[in-house]
Amino acid sequence: MKYSYYPGCAQHGTAVDYRMSVEAVFARLGIELEEIRNWNCCGALHVDDRTTRVALSARTLASSKGLDIATPCNLCYSNLMRARTALEDSPLKSRINEALTTKYDGNTKPKHLLEVIVKDFGLAKLGEQVKKPLKIKAAPYYGCLLTRPENDFDSPENPISLDKLISSIGAEPVRYYYKTKCCGGPILITNEELALGLAKDLLVMAKDSGADCMAVTCPMCHLQLDAKQKAVEAKFNIKIDMPIIYFTQLIGLAIDIPPKELGLDKHLVSTDKLLAAIEGGKNAGE
Amino acid sequence: MKKETILPESRDTAFRDLIIRTPGGENIPTCMQCGICAGSCPVSHEMDYTPRQLVRMIQLGLKKDVLNSNTIWICTTCFSCSVRCPRGIHPTELMETLKPIAVAEGIKNKNAKFDNVFSEVIKKNGRASEFLLISKYSLSEPGMIKQAPFGLSLFSKGKLPLSIDKMENMGELDTIFKLGEKEEEKAETKKNVEGKEPIEKEKGNAEPEAEK
Repeated sequence: MKYSYYPGCAQHGTAVDYRMSVEAVFARLGIELEEIRNWNCCGALHVDDRTTRVALSARTLASSKGLDIATPCNLCYSNLMRARTALEDSPLKSRINEALTTKYDGNTKPKHLLEVIVKDFGLAKLGEQVKKPLKIKAAPYYGCLLTRPENDFDSPENPISLDKLISSIGAEPVRYYYKTKCCGGPILITNEELALGLAKDLLVMAKDSGADCMAVTCPMCHLQLDAKQKAVEAKFNIKIDMPIIYFTQLIGLAIDIPPKELGLDKHLVSTDKLLAAIEGGKNAGE
Repeated sequence: MKKETILPESRDTAFRDLIIRTPGGENIPTCMQCGICAGSCPVSHEMDYTPRQLVRMIQLGLKKDVLNSNTIWICTTCFSCSVRCPRGIHPTELMETLKPIAVAEGIKNKNAKFDNVFSEVIKKNGRASEFLLISKYSLSEPGMIKQAPFGLSLFSKGKLPLSIDKMENMGELDTIFKLGEKEEEKAETKKNVEGKEPIEKEKGNAEPEAEK
């Protein structure tokens, strides 16, 4: 299995822990991720001009060398998917292609790493690799842009791929109402008041569901829920203490990669209690 | 909410037609005001007008109120409304369409400023380094100093490298950003309207940013 790999900007900064876990886990599973040379930012949600935004992702789609493009980031995934659809408009495609050295032929398929694991690699095969079933309760959090506005592998209203992944590594996916609600990440800088309120609702819902941790698929969600969790606690005068774990880190723990190699010491909310529970094979909530 | 009579002179049909011609805008005339967009929106309670109201205002051509509303900028781009709309309208894309039009009309706010800083960083380096983004944005937003402890906590975990992430070769990025700039030239001349000040009413001859 081989993919063109589009890491996205966060992997070089705030999501260094995600990066470490992706590298360790995918190497172990034998899935090859060949990083696209000289890749550019997808524009996230902050390039207001539509043509420029589509063109930024068109350049990425064009550089796939005939392979599917895998990305760890919900924003990158969403932008690639939306650009692919936008580029079905052939006048727009020709105009953008004029600006590109490598032209986009319209045939690249973007995949989020979750899709790569769940659909291409397969959960049965993943289950066979598990050395340490996690025996914890995890709240699957999909965020917005993994399944909306478009995706090829799960439901935008009631996605279940991450739930299934959590089961396949021996943990229990808890049911809660907010698994596709916005965490507030995109407005973290410009409207902190509102962003913290959204994060609070989500964290409280996950906490009330009895989860020992939340499983996430996006660096932006992680930043908001992990790094800003203290700010949420302070603003609303509540105690949450909810470890936010990338799904690749959970896989890594289950296939017995040392926590340090997965970047679990780089979180702002301590993962010690969770790791102790996993080590002890006991339910952390008990 | 108090009810006001909409005067014919506050309606701008050119603006309405402009929005309807943009990608995703074609279904706007079919909105039946069911409100599933507003009900699905995680932040509609903070908006001047809910997405449902905004769509109706576009049908009516209420350019000034639409472009001055905070709705466009409060939207978190979660796409809940877009996947649920029974008429195939994409309110999230509508917000994206309205942003550059509002900016061209002189609307200024934190979000527009951040988007501008972000675009400039990408244009220059090809990639977004968080530290660079936040530093540049903070220059014009002194309130950001309150975020210093947050930045420090990230830094202490090795999550905020001070080096600037750059593409090896920026050639194509210049051309890509010029694609958008060419279109901007066609767009209506900029006006000098600050924040929430009313926009001068003018029968728009603005080109939508995505018009071919």
